[in-house]
Amino acid sequence: MTDDKDKDKDMFICRCEEVTLREIEQAIDDGFVTVKDVKRVTRAGMGLCQGRTCSKTIARIIAQRTGKPLEEILPKSFRYPVRPEKMMAVENEEFDDAKNS
Amino acid sequence: MTYAADVLVIGGGIIGLSCGFYLSKRGKRVFVLDSGGFADGASGACDDMILFQSKKPGINLALTFESLELYKSLLTELDDDLGFANMGGMVLIENQQELEIMEEFVAQQRSYGLDVEVIDKRAMLKKQPFLSDHIIASTYSKMDSQVDPFSVMRGFERKGGSYGMKVFRRNGVVGIDRIGTGDYQVVTEDGSIYQAPIVVNAAGTWAGQIGEMVGATIPIKPKRGQIIVTERIPQIGDTNLWSAKYLVTKLRSDVVVDLNEDERSMGLSMAITRSSGDTYLIGSTREFVGFDKNTTIAGIRAIIKQTLTYLPKLRDVNFIRAMAGLRPSTPDGRMLLGEHAGIEGFFTAAGHEGDGIALAPITGKLLASMVCRDPVDHRLDELSPNRFANP
Repeated sequence: MTDDKDKDKDMFICRCEEVTLREIEQAIDDGFVTVKDVKRVTRAGMGLCQGRTCSKTIARIIAQRTGKPLEEILPKSFRYPVRPEKMMAVENEEFDDAKNS
Repeated sequence: MTYAADVLVIGGGIIGLSCGFYLSKRGKRVFVLDSGGFADGASGACDDMILFQSKKPGINLALTFESLELYKSLLTELDDDLGFANMGGMVLIENQQELEIMEEFVAQQRSYGLDVEVIDKRAMLKKQPFLSDHIIASTYSKMDSQVDPFSVMRGFERKGGSYGMKVFRRNGVVGIDRIGTGDYQVVTEDGSIYQAPIVVNAAGTWAGQIGEMVGATIPIKPKRGQIIVTERIPQIGDTNLWSAKYLVTKLRSDVVVDLNEDERSMGLSMAITRSSGDTYLIGSTREFVGFDKNTTIAGIRAIIKQTLTYLPKLRDVNFIRAMAGLRPSTPDGRMLLGEHAGIEGFFTAAGHEGDGIALAPITGKLLASMVCRDPVDHRLDELSPNRFANP
């Protein structure tokens, strides 16, 4: 019989890249303790939504496991594009108002 | 706190971690010191290529052959697939003049042992059915390969850790002291002191600043490369792709290639590679803008416009991210690898520009060999950091 608690660990935290709670906890235990670090070692947040869905959840998992404050863990900025964009949109339109820092 | 080791590696990018891995494998107690997080620098904002076709016969091409062999052995040693793939590569040729220059270049590479050829339009379209009709031919090499930089870095760190290597992050180096010919004392932001007889400067784009702390001249300049990442899409062709334009300008300064003003000012040349995450990485600009690593709308638009002239089908594809990395560029296009004259025990392994991923394993292995005072490999004389000591 599978342990219920163990089954929880197979839950997807990042649905775009199918990264489980177990993989994220392993990364944290290996010393990767910011959302950016966890992203780069597990791919959580690298998919279609670029972490818009999972990065806050991951930040809370890190905070719980390490006792660090959330503001040290979350990324300080989001990069352009803020959502997926068709290439032709950028090819044809003149837009210079997007912020990317 | 004071911490003592055999070797301090400054910089925890793919080069620093490779140096740390190969040094610790040889029994050295190694600390790797990094000012940022995991892959915060150029190693985390690049493409993933072990690219042969861009290289002139010479030391960079020779070392790429050796690095590829090391990557193959690392698959077992690091117990990870490393996102390794061998899709081959094609360089796209748009006119007769480019064709003649590329034919000559391919002949030189072949005589140096690279498996590469020029193929006609029909053979080209068989491998890449979506290419624009104006492309007249291409090169093809089945040797061009790739790895996932993040997997390689984590692999080096994990295996190095099993040999005792330790990585300290988010704690930049602020000073390096040395009393007489004794140990180096490296001071970090939080006031800690790390002490060792050997220091390896693997700070990439920032290697010049680290060099200054010990009076070493290191003329590395940041060259910004902007890249976009597409959504996951099915494979659109058999190989990765480059445009011949950039190579042609590098090979023949007398030839004026057809570039618009944006492309010329940003040093833009198309590279499109399929990543291990089934997305495509498309780049790249080559801009001297100091240490500014922001992406720009103008850069992203120029990349997209150029790419669509080669692969119009991609117009309907979404891109999900844009990123920029600062490639550590040197005046002669070769890395710095070796010990600084008159600064015994201070080594630099930096300045790979766009070849950091390709050359990481061989760089770490050769650096470890130098630190361990193995017999001197005179092929590497032309990489000596001392070539810039007296400008």
